[in-house]
Amino acid sequence: MAQAVRYPEGFGGIPQIVEILARQGYIADRELATSVHLSVVLHKPLLIEGAAGVGKTEVAKVMAQAIGTDLIRLQCYEGLDVHTALYEWNYQRQMLRIKLEEATARPVEEKESLIFSEPFLLKRPLLQAITAERAPVLLIDEVDRADEEFEAFLLEVLSDFQVSIPEIGTIRARQVPYVVLTSNRTRELSDALRRRCLYLWMDYPNFDKELRIVHERVPGIDERLARQICGFMQLVRHAPLDKVPGVAETLDWSAALMALHRDHLDPQAITETLGCICKDQEDLVRVKSQFLRPILDAVESAEASGDGWTPERTASLAAQLPQR
Amino acid sequence: MAGRQSEPPRSQRSFPSADLPRPALPLPEDGPAGGAAVRWTRPGSLAANLTLFGRRLRARGLLVGPAETGLALTALETVELTGREGVRLALRTVLCSRAEDLPAFDEEFERFWQAPAFGPVMPGQDDEGAETDLAGEAPESSRAELTVTDWAEEGSPSEDERSVPAYSPAEVRASKDFSAFSADDLEEITELIMRIARRIAMRLSRRMRAARRGERVDLRRTIRRSLQYGGDPAALVWRRRKIRKVRIVLLCDVSGSMDVYSRFLVQFVYALQGVVGRVESFFFSTSLTRVTDALAHRDIRQALAEASRHVPDWSGGTKIGASLRSFNEQYGSLVDGRTIVVIASDGWDTGDLDVLVAAMRVLRERAGKVIWLNPLLGSPGYEPVTQGMAAALPFVDVFASAHNLASLRVLERHLRRPRGAHGRGSVRRALIRALASRGGLA
Repeated sequence: MAQAVRYPEGFGGIPQIVEILARQGYIADRELATSVHLSVVLHKPLLIEGAAGVGKTEVAKVMAQAIGTDLIRLQCYEGLDVHTALYEWNYQRQMLRIKLEEATARPVEEKESLIFSEPFLLKRPLLQAITAERAPVLLIDEVDRADEEFEAFLLEVLSDFQVSIPEIGTIRARQVPYVVLTSNRTRELSDALRRRCLYLWMDYPNFDKELRIVHERVPGIDERLARQICGFMQLVRHAPLDKVPGVAETLDWSAALMALHRDHLDPQAITETLGCICKDQEDLVRVKSQFLRPILDAVESAEASGDGWTPERTASLAAQLPQR
Repeated sequence: MAGRQSEPPRSQRSFPSADLPRPALPLPEDGPAGGAAVRWTRPGSLAANLTLFGRRLRARGLLVGPAETGLALTALETVELTGREGVRLALRTVLCSRAEDLPAFDEEFERFWQAPAFGPVMPGQDDEGAETDLAGEAPESSRAELTVTDWAEEGSPSEDERSVPAYSPAEVRASKDFSAFSADDLEEITELIMRIARRIAMRLSRRMRAARRGERVDLRRTIRRSLQYGGDPAALVWRRRKIRKVRIVLLCDVSGSMDVYSRFLVQFVYALQGVVGRVESFFFSTSLTRVTDALAHRDIRQALAEASRHVPDWSGGTKIGASLRSFNEQYGSLVDGRTIVVIASDGWDTGDLDVLVAAMRVLRERAGKVIWLNPLLGSPGYEPVTQGMAAALPFVDVFASAHNLASLRVLERHLRRPRGAHGRGSVRRALIRALASRGGLA
């Protein structure tokens, strides 16, 4: 029952992961660090779920940095098939070769095996990951967007780390890659896939974490403005919006307000730049008409009280917002 | 660094007992491989506790088996155990597999690893949550069961009875409202529904086989074939796009007024199972219950009896908005562009209208198509004026009745595929909107 524990070379475990996270503005996110650590050490795929824009993809980057290896990314979408994910033949090259071979007297079988050999193979992300010299981090992004058929195929690859190409034969992984899967939960994933993976749920960052991220990514931002932005974001996420703004939106907004030389939030500044955080017309109108004032008032009172933004306080402020 | 598994001193790896009141981890003196068997058998050891913990999680619906428990044990050995929180996070990442697991995990973790004294956990205690639930439902379910058996199990179908529902006077039956049938007829009607469904199922599968020829060139095969002609792609090989089966999510109102209709609808949709990809069913009245598993029985009568046993408020009042909202929250991931959501309700909502509107908006955005079946639509002179119905209509692609056999037959057409790229759905919506405004709806 006991699994093999494998520490890759140069991998420092949780402290190192925390340090890398810190460099990116994520201070001491132990939950994330623990999951990454276990995924690497137990060599199990890590499934990360959470709303869009909470930084799921970043985790794979952190993992690759912690191990000191390459990151190979496979972006999933509906209709993604084996040819895009695994391999495809280089048809142009094959055609050319066939033309060149016309003059030679080679038998057809030989010609065929020639053009279906490795030099004519286009390696797509999965095959790249499997054939890499040094185990890379394989990021399978937004796996919920791929079809169920592809998910089944993926499951097969993730369990054996070998693929068979009819024309060439079976290719076995030299080094088993470290796998990170992300999902926005637009579709329920199969239990089989879930069982194969470790699990990490990522939520929107709390006030303190988001503030650190803002300072890290938008250097030189006014402290008061940064605090107001983060407070506003904490509360606006509680409003009934179709597209809840993520961290990327916070950063865009901060940068926009900086560029406009604002040092604090006021209704006019927000109205001018609201497009940075509301990417949907209905949301935009809703926030402008119903939530802008109440949220701004709440942010100002919270900042004036000097109590900071504990989860309880955020929740109680959010509860006072208009419901519709 | 490479061989680190044997490096950390043993003392560091054991549990701080202050944090975990369980018996301290009896780590074996020899290597991990040799010690595994000892750990698994010793009562009160970490392994034994983890096994019990895993069992409790499994009872809560988490995907935890022996393999996961084993992995959890290994995981604890690799984490620097700096206390409770480290242990919790490590176990959580290994033993949970979906967001819904997290609250259950945290609850069980609190209960299990903080219990003041450790006694052997009996199987009964293990499932205490499940037992209470069952007990709580008992009076309700016996009532509900009665209603079902009333019509379904009275006189089970014997072989020679099969020929009884002759199809000739069917037009009379076809247009007769379900609620107007006497209890004696119900068996017969069930049989008719199954027949219609079977016929539709056959037709659908034929249609799929006779699909258009391919739409994309299969380059790989074309190249290969071209070798025979000296490399000129003389004959193109086509690749056909696979036909995707639609999925159906069925949300049935089982409050008093809808009881009869919902039952027929469930039977109908289940008989179509073979041709649609997947059917997920939910019953709601004041709250929402998933009955897909309960309905997985072969026999539809048994299945309904089983399902009604799981529904706490069969034939109670209605809160459509709240029910749909909790569907979106808990099961939203079941719905995507290929999914047809079928809501069967008369629209008598006793809850908050805003909640209904918000829930419908979300459904409409996620689903491939939203069909609302209202049996009252079949009654002459009915207009969708109930507030709930009027509020929901703008988000509905197809508004139809399902009050008799004829209307079930029409339903087939709507169940075939999600709204197409040509926006047929939006035309319907426009029509409905026009109808709604003409009728003076809010």
